[in-house]
Amino acid sequence: MSWRRICAADSVAERTLKKFEVDGIPVIIANYGEGFRAFPPVCPHMEEPLEESGFIEGKVLTCSKHLWQWDLGTTEMTGSETEKPMHFYEVKEENGDIHAFIESEHEYEFDEEDEMDDDDFFNS
Amino acid sequence: MPARNHNQWKADPPLKDGEWLDSRIYSDPEIYEQELEDIFKKVWIPICHESELPNAYDFRTATIAREPVVVARGPDNTVRAFLNVCPHRGMMIERRPSGSFAEAAPSGNPKRMTCMFHGWQYDMKGNCVYISREKEGYQDRLCKENTGLRRLRCEVNFGGFVWVTLNDKAMSLEDWCGEAFKCIRGPLEAEPLDVFHYHKAVIGTNYKLWHDTNSEFYHDFMHYHNRVTGFNDAYFARENTAFENGHVNVGSFEVQYDEYEGFESRAELSFPGLPPNQWYMVDLFPGMNFNLRGSALRCDIVTPLGPDKVMIEFRGLGLKSDTPEERRTRIDHHNTIWGPFGRNLHEDLIGVAGQGSAMLPGSEPRRILHGRHEDNLIHDEVGMRHYYDEWGKWMNRLPSNPSLPYAPAEAAE
Repeated sequence: MSWRRICAADSVAERTLKKFEVDGIPVIIANYGEGFRAFPPVCPHMEEPLEESGFIEGKVLTCSKHLWQWDLGTTEMTGSETEKPMHFYEVKEENGDIHAFIESEHEYEFDEEDEMDDDDFFNS
Repeated sequence: MPARNHNQWKADPPLKDGEWLDSRIYSDPEIYEQELEDIFKKVWIPICHESELPNAYDFRTATIAREPVVVARGPDNTVRAFLNVCPHRGMMIERRPSGSFAEAAPSGNPKRMTCMFHGWQYDMKGNCVYISREKEGYQDRLCKENTGLRRLRCEVNFGGFVWVTLNDKAMSLEDWCGEAFKCIRGPLEAEPLDVFHYHKAVIGTNYKLWHDTNSEFYHDFMHYHNRVTGFNDAYFARENTAFENGHVNVGSFEVQYDEYEGFESRAELSFPGLPPNQWYMVDLFPGMNFNLRGSALRCDIVTPLGPDKVMIEFRGLGLKSDTPEERRTRIDHHNTIWGPFGRNLHEDLIGVAGQGSAMLPGSEPRRILHGRHEDNLIHDEVGMRHYYDEWGKWMNRLPSNPSLPYAPAEAAE
């Protein structure tokens, strides 16, 4: 059973997003006017907390930090800046509640930090 | 003895070279500039204590020889130091004295250092991880691989202090001051320490005058309260020991705290491995001081701000494992000696402020004497002689006449 109840559908107003935690897993529910989307609460670019930086215009979610955008209608990347897709959890509305299919928390891979602690670093 | 006319006043004292110096070394702007260049940019400097950066992404900023420095603890728990300067347009990246990079900030992202000017970003290893409009602006002519931060040599050592040098080619920190720390290394490293006290003083004086005061104990004449209670013969019998690179120790003795008015023995809270109530001091070239008085460690870090201005940061440290009650007692021990209403620290500041007022830049050069010889005990000014011989070498100037190149002093120890 990986369908988890997240919240009441009427608790996320149209064209807003809200962060929830279910079984210790943080998730954002976005209401784009024609439906709902569920996704991890950080921007895949720089780990920016989307509940602070994200806004929805039309059906497009924008992270205000570096203007990466995703179309919540199609879940595709959009705009000229976006370089990575957003991870979406499957979502459904049932009896006035929002449920998301979350097997485990999805975590993005961010820039791998180089190994540069070798002794020769300061001698080169 | 009669007062002296101007010529008599300006004459050299009847002491050997190396037993006095010319006050221009405390006030001449050109000498000050050279000190930043030839000493402070070359040696190891303690910046803070690692307990001030307890968590991943905690940082602290400082300045060495006008160069802004940031030290930060990475997610791998390693503390690293960088020049706090954005390689793009030279902006100071982090302007707060301390804080955390863990959370998102108005002009940054979590877990990165962000230059608020144009949003360039760096990770905790100094890698550049974001250049705004990189492709549009630089096509492929410049990329993040070309724009990392300048990393600085940084070590956590001698009881958890964070040491940084601007000099990639400096000798190892161990070689720089390991010998001078030997006498207190056991007690400092037996278990983790943390900072319980911080205050700073910005004084209109030269940084070396503070070090001078720390490295001779002859000025107990200024510490009236100290002098009238609690001193014993052992206090005056402590020996000064000189080490390579200009450092000096003041040897220990057993302080009779219960003879101080209103004090009790500090034996129970003495640092681990330190004989009860003992007191050691380590004076490091060019002006740092570590003072372990039984139950509390004091550390002075000087940042010269001009020939006649210095910032001195005072930290008090205890054992991380202290119970709340032990900690209260330890703080009390620290403050009754070194706090604003303690026995001596504020009086020391009055001393150097008075010297600073009489040696402003442009004031006539005077002769400053440090020719006392008393078997290397604490009334002996050997600490200053040793220091200024080292200073002369680094500066290639003769302390008694800084217009001349360095030569070993007649009075060299």
